Amino acid sequence: MRPIILAMHVLIVSTVATLAETGPVQAILQEQRDLIVKSSRKTIGPAIEAVATSGLPEAQSVLQAWQVKNIWMRKSDGLFFLGEKIDSKTYRLIDFDSGDTVGEFPKRALKNIKPNSGIRALIGTALVQFQLLDPEPDRRMAALDAIERSPDASLLAPLRNSIDDESDAEIRARKMRIERLLTIAHGTSVDERVAAIEEMSTDLGVDVRAALNPLTRTKIMAFAGDIPEGLNVARRLSPGSDDLPREDAYALLVATDLAPAIVGRDAIRDALIANLEDNSAGGVQAGELGTDEARLRAYGVLARAGTVPPLVTDAEMDAALDAHIFAAVYAEASSAVTAAAESALVRIANRVGISQGADLALDALSLASIYFLAAIGLAITFGVMGVINMAHGEFIMMGAYTGYVVQQFIPHHTVSILVAVPLAFVVTFGAGVAMERLVIRWLYNRPLETLLATFGISIALQQLAKNIFGTQARPLTSPSWLDGAWVVNDVISISHIRIAIFVLALIFLGVFLFIMHRTRLGLETRAVTQNRRMAATMGINPDRVNMLTFGLGSGIAGIAGVAIGLYAKVTSDLGADYIVQSFMTVVVGGVGNIWGTLLGATGIGFLQKGIEWFNPSNTLAAQTYMIIFIIVVFIQLRPQGIIALKGRAAGD
Amino acid sequence: MPQSVIARNPSVLVFLAILGLFTLSVTLMSEWAGSEIVSTSFVKTLGKTLCLALVAVAMDLVWGYAGILSLGHFAFFGLGGYMIGMWLMYERTHRIVASSLAEAPIPPTESEIAGAIGNQIFGVVGSSEFPAIWAFADSLALQLLLVVLVPGLFAFVFGWLAFRSRVTGVYLSILTQAMTLALALYLFQNDSGLRGNNGLSGLQNLPGLDHVPQSSISIWFFWASAGALALGYVFSAWIVSGKFGSVIRGIRDNESRVRFLGYPVEAYKLFVFTVTAMIAGIAGALYYPQAGIINPAEIAPIASIYLAVWVAIGGRGRLYGAVIGAAFVSLVSSWFTGGQAPDVNLGFYTIKWVDWWLVLLGLSFVAVTLLAPKGIGGLVDLWTGRMAPDRHGADLGPDSGSLREAEAEQ
Repeated sequence: MRPIILAMHVLIVSTVATLAETGPVQAILQEQRDLIVKSSRKTIGPAIEAVATSGLPEAQSVLQAWQVKNIWMRKSDGLFFLGEKIDSKTYRLIDFDSGDTVGEFPKRALKNIKPNSGIRALIGTALVQFQLLDPEPDRRMAALDAIERSPDASLLAPLRNSIDDESDAEIRARKMRIERLLTIAHGTSVDERVAAIEEMSTDLGVDVRAALNPLTRTKIMAFAGDIPEGLNVARRLSPGSDDLPREDAYALLVATDLAPAIVGRDAIRDALIANLEDNSAGGVQAGELGTDEARLRAYGVLARAGTVPPLVTDAEMDAALDAHIFAAVYAEASSAVTAAAESALVRIANRVGISQGADLALDALSLASIYFLAAIGLAITFGVMGVINMAHGEFIMMGAYTGYVVQQFIPHHTVSILVAVPLAFVVTFGAGVAMERLVIRWLYNRPLETLLATFGISIALQQLAKNIFGTQARPLTSPSWLDGAWVVNDVISISHIRIAIFVLALIFLGVFLFIMHRTRLGLETRAVTQNRRMAATMGINPDRVNMLTFGLGSGIAGIAGVAIGLYAKVTSDLGADYIVQSFMTVVVGGVGNIWGTLLGATGIGFLQKGIEWFNPSNTLAAQTYMIIFIIVVFIQLRPQGIIALKGRAAGD
Repeated sequence: MPQSVIARNPSVLVFLAILGLFTLSVTLMSEWAGSEIVSTSFVKTLGKTLCLALVAVAMDLVWGYAGILSLGHFAFFGLGGYMIGMWLMYERTHRIVASSLAEAPIPPTESEIAGAIGNQIFGVVGSSEFPAIWAFADSLALQLLLVVLVPGLFAFVFGWLAFRSRVTGVYLSILTQAMTLALALYLFQNDSGLRGNNGLSGLQNLPGLDHVPQSSISIWFFWASAGALALGYVFSAWIVSGKFGSVIRGIRDNESRVRFLGYPVEAYKLFVFTVTAMIAGIAGALYYPQAGIINPAEIAPIASIYLAVWVAIGGRGRLYGAVIGAAFVSLVSSWFTGGQAPDVNLGFYTIKWVDWWLVLLGLSFVAVTLLAPKGIGGLVDLWTGRMAPDRHGADLGPDSGSLREAEAEQ
C-alpha cells in the first residue's frame, strides 16, 4: 500500500505545478479531482455542482462526456481530457477548454472516469438546466419530461431562470406549470408554496393531485405524554374508532416498543411445542392440548414460571391504549401548506367528481348506442315481426367478418370501410332472406320452435366462422381519422370511434323511422304485422313482405357488425356476446316500438355504467347485478316493456 | 297408485325393463366384474349420460308437458353439483388436513383445522375464510338436502315472480336465459365463495374411500344414476298421467282457457317449474362426482339451450323421448368431438369432425324442428302403429297440442 500512496502524493504534487497552464474548466476539474476519481454517489455532489455552476460554455459538454463515461485522466499529470477511441489500446485525448487534440496515448497510461448509475442520474439532473435553454425545442421538451419524472428541488432555480427567455408559447406554458408544481413541493417560503397551491387548485391534472397528495399524507403516531411541540398534527385519533381500530392502535404501540406484544394463537402453539418436556407442557399432557382452553391453561402455567412472556389481557390492552395519545401527523412541517393543500384537494375532488360524472354519462351514452346498434335489427325482426332470431348475433358477426375480408383486399382503410358497409348489408340481407325462406317461414305460428331452430343455425354459423377464420381474433382496423379521442379536459374524453358509433346509431334510428313510416315497404310491413289476412286481401303479398322485412333487419345487423368490429376485436363469439343484451334491450323497451328500443338501450347502457361506477373493480359483478335488476324490474313493474303496445296492436 | 300409472303408461314398464337390462349388462361387462369390455372411463361416461337423461326428463316435463321453455334448467343441474361438491371437497380436505396436522407434536384445535381447510380450498382465490354459504359443508345430510332445496328455492322465487306477472312464451325463455347468465357471471367471481372460475375439483375422490378403486366407485355411481333415472322417470310418469297431467297439458295448449275454467294456472306452473328444478339438482349431484370437476362455465346459458336441443331431437311431450335424445346426442357428440369419428376426405378438403360436428348438430337440429317435430321418439309411433288419426290438416306441433290446423283456424 505504502508505495502506491506515496506515488499518489508525488502525482498530486507534480500536477499542482501544471495547474497554472491549464484552462478554466481544467482548473475546476483539478480542484475537484479527489472527488471525481473517488466517484462515490455520496460525495460527488460538490464536484458536479462546481462544473454545472461554473458558468463556462464548456460545462455542458464536460457533463455530457462525464455522463457517457468519456472522460479520461492522464495518469502522468492527473489532467482530465475527453477521450476518443482509436483502437482497443489507443485513445486520442482532447482538451476541454481549447478543443485541441492533445495527442494519442496508450490505454494503460490513462484512467477512465466511470460514474455509476446514481452519479449519472445526478449529472443528468445537472444537465437539465442546460437543456432547458437549448436552442432545440425538442431538447427543451425532453428536459421538461425529465423534470416531471424526477421533480427535484435543485431544478427549481434553473427552471425559473429559463422561463423568461422562452420563445415557444407552448413550452413556456408548460414550463410555468411545472414551475408551479415544483414550487408546491420544494418552494423555499411557506407563502410562496401556499400561493402556488391556491393557483393550481382549479387544475384537474393528475400531476397536480400527485404534487398535492404527498403534502397531505399523514402517519399515525402514538405518544406516551403530550404531543411534542413542532409537529404538524392533522387530528387526534381515539382507539376503537373507524379510523383506528383497537387492534391497529395496539399493534402501533407494539411496533414502537410502547407495549408488550400480544401472544397470538400461533405463538401460544409454538411456545407450547418449544416447551414440551416428557410429552407434556405446563403440566398438561400433549394429547390434551387440542383445545384453546387447555392450551391457555398450559401457557398460563408456563408464563407464571417465567419461561414464556405473559399473555396480554384485554384489561392490559385497554390500559395501554388509554395511557397513550394517538394522532395523525403530517409529514409536511408547515400547517399553512397542509391546510391549503387539503382545501385545494377538496376543491379539485369536487371538480373531478363533476367531470367524472360527465365522462361517465358520455361512456354510458356510447355503450347505449352500441346496444342500440346491436338491437335495432332485432327490433325489426323480433319487435315488428315477432320472430325470435337467436342467430341475430351471428349476423352481426358476419358483418364484422365481411369488413375484415374486405380489408384484406382493399388496404386503404377509409375506402375499405366505405365498401364494407354496403357489402355487409348485402351479405347479411342475403343470409336473412335465405333463412326466412328456408326455415322461419315454416314456423310462423310456433315461436318457441323458431327460437330453437334459429339457435341451431346460430351454433352452426358460429362453428363455421371458427372453421374458416380460426379461433383467434381478427383485426378490423379503423381509418386513421377515427383514431384518437375528443378530449375536453384531463378527465373527460371520448374516442372518435365511439362518437362515430353514436352518430351511426342516430342515422339508423332515422333510417328505421323513414322506412317504417314513409315507404311502401314500411306501410306493408305494419299492415302485415297487424293483420296478415286483412293485408293479404288488400293486395299485399305477406310472404314477400316478411321476407324483405327480415332481410332488412338482418342487413342492419350486418352494418352494426362492421361498426362493432371497429370497436372490438372480430371473433366468432362477437355476436354471442351481444345477443342477450340485445334481447333485453328490445324486451325491456317494449316490443314493436323503436322508441322503446331506444329507451331500453339508453336505460341498460346507463344502468350498466352506473353500477360499474359504484363497483369499478368488478365488471362481472356489475353485469350480474344489472341483469338481476332488469329481470326483477321488468317482470314486476312493466312486463310489457317500457313502452307497451296498446289496443289491437298488442295482440294476445 | 303406481299400478294405475303403469296401466295408463305401458311405456314405463318397457322403459324400466330396458334400463334394467342395460344396467345389468354394463355391470357384467365392466372392470368391476372382472371383464375388460367396458372400461372404467366409459362406465363413467355412461353414468353421466344417465344423469343427463334424468335432467332431460325434467326438461321434458317443464317444456314438453307444461309448455314452459326454460333455458335455465342446466343452471339448477349445476347448482345441485355445486351443493354436493361442497361437501365432497370439504370432507376430503378435512381428512387430508387432519392427518397432516396430527403429525405435529400437539394435537390441533378446531379453529386451526378449519383455518387450514379454508387455506387449502380458498387459497386459489386468495382467501382463507369460509364464506357463509359453506356453513353446512361439514354435514353430508344437510348438503344432500341442499341439493334439492337450493335449486328448488331458486326456481320457486324466480317462477313465483315470473308467473305471477304472467310472463309467458319467448319472454319467459329470454328471462330464464338472463337468469342463467347472471348466475354464471356471479359464480365466475372470485368472491362468490365458490372458488370463482376454478370451480370445485377433485370430486371423483370420495372421502374415506381412498382404498376403493375407481372401477368400483364408477359402477356404484352408475347404479345410483340408473336408480335415480328410474325413480325420476316413474315419478314424472305419475305426475303427467293423472288429472294433474291433463291440467298442465291444458295449460300448454291454451293457457287462458284453462284459467277461465277456474284452475290456478300460476300455481300449477310454479309447481312443475320447482319440482323439475329439484330433479335437475339431483341429476347434477350425481353427475359431477363422476365428472370430477364443476366450474361456472358448465352453467353458461348455452348448456341449457343444449338441454332443450336434446329434448327436441329426442321428441318432447313423451318422457322416453327426452331420455333417447339426451343419450343419443350426448353420446354421439362425445364420439364426434372425441376424435374417434373418421375424417371424411373430399379430395379438395378433409372434413375433421372435431371442427364440423357443431355445424352438423346445428343443422340437424334445424332439420328436426322443421321436418320431424316429434323427434326420434316419433319413430316409436311408427313402430307401434299408433299413428295420429287423420284429422285433415297439418300438425301444429306439440305447442298447439293435439289441435290440427283445421280446428285451430276455426
